[in-house]
Amino acid sequence: MDALAKKHYAMVIQVAKCLGCQACTVACKFQNHVPEGQYRTKTPVVGPNGTYPNVRMYFEKEACQMCQVAPCVQVCPTTASHYNEDGVVLVDVDKCVGCKYCMTACPYDARFLNKETGTADKCTFCYETRVSKGEKPACVSTCVGGALMFGDVDDPQSDVSQFLAKHKTEVRKPEFGTRPSVYYVYEGVK
Amino acid sequence: MDVTWGAGVSHEIAWGGLIAIYLFLAGVAGGAFLTAALTDLLGKKGPSKVVRSGAYIAPVSIIIGLALLVFDLGRPFSFWKLLFNVNFGSVMSIGVFIISIFTALSVVYAYLIWVSSAASGKIHLTTGAAQTAASVEVRSQGLHKAVAIFGVVFAVGTATYTGFLLSAVSTNVFWSTPLLGIQGVPFLPFLFLVSALSTGLAAAMIGAFDSKDLTLYKKVDIVLIALELILLVVLYASVKPVFFGGNLATLFWLGVVLIGLLVPFVLTIYGVMRHKNLVLPVSSMVVLGGVFLRYFIVYAGQILR
Repeated sequence: MDALAKKHYAMVIQVAKCLGCQACTVACKFQNHVPEGQYRTKTPVVGPNGTYPNVRMYFEKEACQMCQVAPCVQVCPTTASHYNEDGVVLVDVDKCVGCKYCMTACPYDARFLNKETGTADKCTFCYETRVSKGEKPACVSTCVGGALMFGDVDDPQSDVSQFLAKHKTEVRKPEFGTRPSVYYVYEGVK
Repeated sequence: MDVTWGAGVSHEIAWGGLIAIYLFLAGVAGGAFLTAALTDLLGKKGPSKVVRSGAYIAPVSIIIGLALLVFDLGRPFSFWKLLFNVNFGSVMSIGVFIISIFTALSVVYAYLIWVSSAASGKIHLTTGAAQTAASVEVRSQGLHKAVAIFGVVFAVGTATYTGFLLSAVSTNVFWSTPLLGIQGVPFLPFLFLVSALSTGLAAAMIGAFDSKDLTLYKKVDIVLIALELILLVVLYASVKPVFFGGNLATLFWLGVVLIGLLVPFVLTIYGVMRHKNLVLPVSSMVVLGGVFLRYFIVYAGQILR
């Protein structure tokens, strides 16, 4: 990530608090005009697995993990995929030619080729439309169970910083060294 | 979306058949160019049939490949942006320049070989045109050699690039498999280079199948096929067996190994020993095997992640 980034935005997902209501999925579609059949975020079910009395089922929100060492940015031949001034991974639609190299590189399957523009598309943390104006991303604002938190982890006073200091969190596929900015809390489900 | 269970986990294949064929054609172009230019540089006589065949196949093959690549883009008409927005950390960005230079050199080289053939009477032209060709040939001899030498460098670059393109995806455990477990030395560039040499040589031989003596080329092909077989054994030993099973098992064992390598290997040796001309069937199988190999590698890396 750009060492000069002013902020480090992060999302915390408390998996046990998610009801699977899909309000986040729908809010994202409203906010970002995502084409039919495509998703910037989705929350599929995991399970049910196991047998009584050890049956487990939960919902796991998926989207761009906002890697600090992003494979998509590294491979992008036109620098369309980039870190913005606040360290958020974004796609510059004007520079993207739709080569899909980033899609082969993303280990989280977070990217898709937008049917309408022909360019790479993914979650932006609602940076342009909401976060840059001081609001939370649409999925966080709408979350019914209060499972989502969002903020600047470089600010020790922020909710996310204080939460991360006290709780055990995980990132997805840490073996690839991508250093995601989306943290998962599995307390109560695993 | 299922309202109860959420939108399913999608597993879109980003790069499909068009990219596999493009990687194959870039390899054939590189290999055919090398076959032609090396014969041309090291041999003493004028352009033989193999030289002409290789020199003409290279530009045709790379240009068709590039057309497929552009067609596969989400925005085909914005391909020119690849030339103006450069990311030196991206293998693809570097590759754009390697391939562009190779394409230009291969076109110029094909023209020079054509002129040279015309001048030595291998192509029937009117007397006036033949004289013009002869005078162009005399004036362009220095250029001819320079284009051949630089072309060799960029042909190797193009063939290896197709491997680096995939192996640079460090999050893809199959594509980024290291050579013999040596960290930092990717496997695919070696495999794709050997396959490129083999398929390019085979393609050039198809174009010159009725030439009198192709024995040297056949012997080189035997070595290349053996090398490719060894590399596939290395690959098989380096990755999890799951990559060679499932839907891709037939493609790999029947297409890549049997049709593409083992049968041509045996038939070439038989043909050389018995002085039989089996160039057309053998070389066609080698070329087809090259297509299967690219399909297998491209898909195996994406289906099983």
